[in-house]
Amino acid sequence: MLELWYHAVDLLPGDWTRFLFMKQALLAILLVMPPLSLLGVLVVNQRMAFFSDVIGHSALTGLALGTLCGLVDPSPAMPAFAALLAVLVSLLKRFTRASTDTVIAVLFALVVSAGVVLLSRGGGFAKYTPFLIGDFLTLAPTQLVRLAGVSLLVGLGLLLMWKPLFLISLSPSLARSRGIPVFGVETGFAVLVAFMVAAAVPLIGILIVNSILILPAATARLWAPNLRAYFLIALLLGLTGGIAGLLLSFYWGTACGATCSLLIAGAYLIAAFGRVQK
Amino acid sequence: MSFSFSRSACWVPLLLAGTLVAAPVAPTDTPASAPHPLRVVTSFYPLQIAALNIIGDTPGVTLRNLTPPLTGCLHDYQMSPADLVALAQADLFIINGGGMEAFLSQATRQLPHLRILNSGEGLEAPPTSPAAGNSHYWVSPALHLRQIARMADGLAAADPGHAAEFHRNASNYSARLSFLRDEMHASLGGIKHREIITFHEAFAHFALEFGLNIIAVIEPENGSQPSARELSQTIDIVRSHHIQALFIEPQYPAQAAQTISRETSVPVFTLDSCATGSVTPDAYLNLMRANLKTLREALK
Repeated sequence: MLELWYHAVDLLPGDWTRFLFMKQALLAILLVMPPLSLLGVLVVNQRMAFFSDVIGHSALTGLALGTLCGLVDPSPAMPAFAALLAVLVSLLKRFTRASTDTVIAVLFALVVSAGVVLLSRGGGFAKYTPFLIGDFLTLAPTQLVRLAGVSLLVGLGLLLMWKPLFLISLSPSLARSRGIPVFGVETGFAVLVAFMVAAAVPLIGILIVNSILILPAATARLWAPNLRAYFLIALLLGLTGGIAGLLLSFYWGTACGATCSLLIAGAYLIAAFGRVQK
Repeated sequence: MSFSFSRSACWVPLLLAGTLVAAPVAPTDTPASAPHPLRVVTSFYPLQIAALNIIGDTPGVTLRNLTPPLTGCLHDYQMSPADLVALAQADLFIINGGGMEAFLSQATRQLPHLRILNSGEGLEAPPTSPAAGNSHYWVSPALHLRQIARMADGLAAADPGHAAEFHRNASNYSARLSFLRDEMHASLGGIKHREIITFHEAFAHFALEFGLNIIAVIEPENGSQPSARELSQTIDIVRSHHIQALFIEPQYPAQAAQTISRETSVPVFTLDSCATGSVTPDAYLNLMRANLKTLREALK
């Protein structure tokens, strides 16, 4: 089935289409950008940007724990640990009186330091730097399949959860009165974010993944006149930023994830400036 | 509202006192005092193996390696407090030189009386050589033989009482390595395809010795991933030069190599730069022998 994709990409202009790894990278962009951008709309709406930042950084710790447990391929440990962290944050928000900000900040400190301590033992931290800036170029077909699976799951989750989430953000008591299990939906959403971010980290990098999550939504919010447009503009920004970023990173020799993020940030500045002019 | 200020304030001086007690544990530069075994520390694995052979059964000499067994090449290595303690207690610190031990200036700043034996002194390639600036001397058997000789001399100077043993052991080991080296030259002398691509810069001196031509090195810096531009350029090089084999090392992740291999259908082979392995006297010789076998198969 991938062969069909490779042939399709051949029809596009540009020197980059000669290379298999670029065709795979393009497919990865198309699989990862839409769910991230759409998820980002909800993350921004639920004011969970800090939370998603922690999830991104927890990838290091997940990796460390996976390596500690002696797994040959520690990559499944990342989403597992991220999901665990998501549930923990949700529980702490519900059952402690500390502010959400503080709870997340404490977990952030714990998780990141634990990860760095575990991975830097033996002085060999340098080999984990690819996780910081990501790598779109050395994907194996199995990784693409896994990514497709996660994106599908997240897409389904979004379809089910977006309406209840918006209602909860407007008024939790109203949502409860409508029979929506607020704690369940919020925790479920947190876990969904955890899975998506953990899947995106090896590609986009820990330093950049939160920007890709938040920027399309933040930019769209400046332009969108209504809810449907909000989602649509975020999606378009994510896709165009992703594709343009990939091609530019090819010609400039830069890291793909960061290039995409820079482009979308540029779009935000233009939109914000446009807003100010009005 | 009363405030038990005085009670909570007591904790502060107690904490400070605690740190003062801990301070003497920090490593200081103490000169060697009463007679004790000669404490030799090597910076990393290949030197440890060489030292193991040179020291052999000599009594009154202890050898330890500074870095943990799976560290590999010392690029970007960061010293831990335990490392500084080990160096503070060492009588002789054997290094590879050539800039491999990037943390050396840190160590010498803290421990100005540390006696350093630079096994790679004089082995630097001239600036016009393809191996210029490359400090992976030990991977080339010819250069490693010179490192062994220098190490034997340095050990003999540090412990003149055992000089005879060190030189005897060194010459035995060198003889075996020379024999292997001659075998390698004989085997690799007749191969036609001399252009190779490696995924780490460890083989520059090795290639120079055996007349192999390293067309491209991916990931010239440890941990760096190639950019899309670099990957595409390498793929073009592989295709245009009709490269037969891509060489990776067991210590480094192989994704970039596998991507290129998938794209060009060129097989990937593993060459060991002897930066990690089991701590046995014959380890280096065995690894080199395995490399010879791999090269013969890859470049036939």
